[in-house]
Amino acid sequence: MSANIYQPDLMEVIQVRQQTADVKSVRIAFRDPEQARAFSFRVGQFGIFSAFGAGESTFNICSSSDWTDFIEFCFRRTGRVTEALWNAEEGDTIGFRGPYGNGYPLEKWKGKNLIFVGGGIAMPPIRCAIWYALENREQFGDVTIVYGARTVGDLVFANELDRWAEFEGVRVVRCVDPGGETPDWKGEIGFVPTVVERANISGENAVALVVGPPIMIQFTLPVLAKIGLPDASIYTSLENRMKCGVGKCGRCNCGPVYVCKEGPVFTLEELKRMPKDY
Amino acid sequence: MSELLSGTAIRPWIERLLADGKRVAGPQRVHEDLVQYAWLTSADQLALDGFVRPSNSIKEVVFPRHEQLYGYQFKGKRIELLPAELPTKEQIVIGARPCDAAALPALDGVFNWDTQDEFYNRRRELTTVVTLACGAYDAHCFCTSVGLGPGDVRGSDALLIAVDDENYEVRCLTDKGRRLFAGVTTESSAVGRVMEGPPVQFDLDKLGAFLAGGYDNPAWQAAAMRCLGCAACAYTCPTCHCFDIVDEGGPSGGTRVRNWDACQFSMFTAHASGHNPRGNQGQRQRQRIYHKFQIYPEKFGALLCTGCGNCTRNCPAGLGVLPILKTIAPTP
Amino acid sequence: MQEELRQTCRRLLTDGTVQVVIGYGQAAADDRVVPVFITRPEDADQLVWNDRCFANLAKYLLRKEVAALGRAAICVKGCDQRALLVLEQESQIDRSQLTVIGLACDGVGEPRQAKCQSCDVHTPRQADITVGQASAGNPPATADGRYAEIEAFLKKTPAERMAYWKAELSRCVKCYACRQVCPMCYCRQCIVDKNRPVVISTSATLKGNFAWQITRAFHLAGRCVGCDECTRACPAGIDLRLLNLSLAKAAEENFSFRAGMDPAADPIIGAYSQQDHEEFIR
Repeated sequence: MSANIYQPDLMEVIQVRQQTADVKSVRIAFRDPEQARAFSFRVGQFGIFSAFGAGESTFNICSSSDWTDFIEFCFRRTGRVTEALWNAEEGDTIGFRGPYGNGYPLEKWKGKNLIFVGGGIAMPPIRCAIWYALENREQFGDVTIVYGARTVGDLVFANELDRWAEFEGVRVVRCVDPGGETPDWKGEIGFVPTVVERANISGENAVALVVGPPIMIQFTLPVLAKIGLPDASIYTSLENRMKCGVGKCGRCNCGPVYVCKEGPVFTLEELKRMPKDY
Repeated sequence: MSELLSGTAIRPWIERLLADGKRVAGPQRVHEDLVQYAWLTSADQLALDGFVRPSNSIKEVVFPRHEQLYGYQFKGKRIELLPAELPTKEQIVIGARPCDAAALPALDGVFNWDTQDEFYNRRRELTTVVTLACGAYDAHCFCTSVGLGPGDVRGSDALLIAVDDENYEVRCLTDKGRRLFAGVTTESSAVGRVMEGPPVQFDLDKLGAFLAGGYDNPAWQAAAMRCLGCAACAYTCPTCHCFDIVDEGGPSGGTRVRNWDACQFSMFTAHASGHNPRGNQGQRQRQRIYHKFQIYPEKFGALLCTGCGNCTRNCPAGLGVLPILKTIAPTP
Repeated sequence: MQEELRQTCRRLLTDGTVQVVIGYGQAAADDRVVPVFITRPEDADQLVWNDRCFANLAKYLLRKEVAALGRAAICVKGCDQRALLVLEQESQIDRSQLTVIGLACDGVGEPRQAKCQSCDVHTPRQADITVGQASAGNPPATADGRYAEIEAFLKKTPAERMAYWKAELSRCVKCYACRQVCPMCYCRQCIVDKNRPVVISTSATLKGNFAWQITRAFHLAGRCVGCDECTRACPAGIDLRLLNLSLAKAAEENFSFRAGMDPAADPIIGAYSQQDHEEFIR
């Protein structure tokens, strides 16, 4: 680990999976075994990933913190850096700086029922928490996962939804927007907030993690309030434009709160106290 | 007894510093109407009077406008990283204004927040700041409104105060300052007098109260109507420090660099999705004021403004922070 | 003339012809004049007219926050009005929705700015309302001398000119004040902000600064009206007029074209004539 806080660690691409027409997930491992040994992170933290020559981009680490052979990130092909990352192949080198941010407060979630609600490209920040919870099953109560996208083809980590449903006490509700279904679609049809309401989830002794486009979050929050979840039990992961990840470049703050340092994970209670700079 | 820097001693002293391989920066007269801080290549270039303050700041010496963070070379599927060369030469600023010197201790906070920025810290260690007390102020100066003044020593290793047209009393404040002036000054009985600063132009307490509740106040939109969204204010400001990180290179490799950036640019906070939390200039101006007068002091214990007035002087639309502060927190 | 201007403003707002008058006002701190946006008749007294009314207010017509204020009247000097004409010809403003208040001008700055010394539009043209009269003792300059500083500069050797620009552009910090004040710079995404591919380095190095300034000058070819706002706005005191106006000189010498002068003329880049010079095609 160099003293240069801006210098990334060099990672080898060990697997690339295409999730949708414009989304890929990539597994990377430290080239330096010492760095691999020394590394750990908490689910919910993020990293800054480099495509050398194109630049850096910020993504959540979407693998479980228990998995030690690699870390994984997931991105939509949308700009200069993600275009370069799109072309990454096994054996290529990607840079990684991190882990940054606060991560999910898993100690507070112990013993609780977990409600995960996600939309579209927002599945990755939830996926890491889901795998952690399922692989440490005894620490948590019932798990409900509601995940939807515009169309069937936009579901990210779709193959894992089935595997999650196989765990005990886990209920997976998947949905697509009206018009986004295929003839053989067996899941729900409807917008995520509507599907959450229909799912009749119990809010008792629960915490919820909601990540998705602002409009999805906006309409999901009242549904969660209705089932009795207080603001302090509803969590989200913010995505602000970032550059340095270490609180110095001045870009990601919402008022006094720097998303890279004091976030990206916030409760709804904290969010309501912050200026709407996100 | 005081220490005197005689006018005739200045040139040979600077020539010696330059000959010793040190970097020296100070005010230079670029044009008839323009004085800027710049690196000296000869002692003749230094200008110490005839102006209120340079139109830029000294932050360049610890936070350059363009800085290489490291290099990268493509080696097949691998990357070789080439560490950046940290500077090694001593840097001396001669003739900083108090409002420039005071910016450096303020900036220490953010560049060492949890993680240490070695580029900033190395340059800071290598820098000695010799401040020149002001002999004049103009309508844009407001150092006294933020707790500073024409002879304030915050951030200074030594303070020069003119005793007449040519000679200066030197007050060494730190070991760095004492080392720099050893053998350069002579004993004297002359004592420089620091002038009175400008009258206070706004009420800091009132400002704090306004900011505590004023996030949605329409004043921000009104104030920003004439703002054109350039970075003349941010880049000439002694304390603004936002930056961008980009790769510059070609097929065989390149460097990752950091460049100045500014919250006033329209795309500063724009997300890849197209969403922009600060999509209009009123929101961007508001961010600037909050950052300088509420967020930074709460986090790091120092205002992110030294009252130098560069923002207003350099703003093509005559904005900058002072006109806004006078509107929202007028003195009684 | 100032009182006439204020009365005009009051009238236009009171009778609902416009919702905002964009003009010049006095800053609180010193004798600087700044852009003001008058939306109430009782605020009309904020308007001033003097030889410190430097800003080219045409730029503000392109800002969404100003457009949101409603139908506008705008105060323009002759040089500013040329910018309005270029914007109209490039379909960036709807002239029929705009009330143009032309301010007869004897020049700004003390001493007079370079642009004023060769000005031939002391009375703005195509204004809806003209306030004041250019004084008789200040007749419009002629074509001779219009590009005097550029011609003098071009007498230097290429090495001398390069040394000059290296020295000047070393002070550029890429604040883009030049771009932001320029009414002709209205691209939704400026070329320097594009990164697929990176055409112009964003770094404030000599290479990045040369690339930026030269590209912007090229993009102003045949469009720059010589309002000099770029030079005034530059916090590093770079004589951008010398660079940007040389393209205007090239447009006039090679194509007899001056931006913003003739409402009937086609924009130079957007039109082709059989008479156009072709010596550069070999």
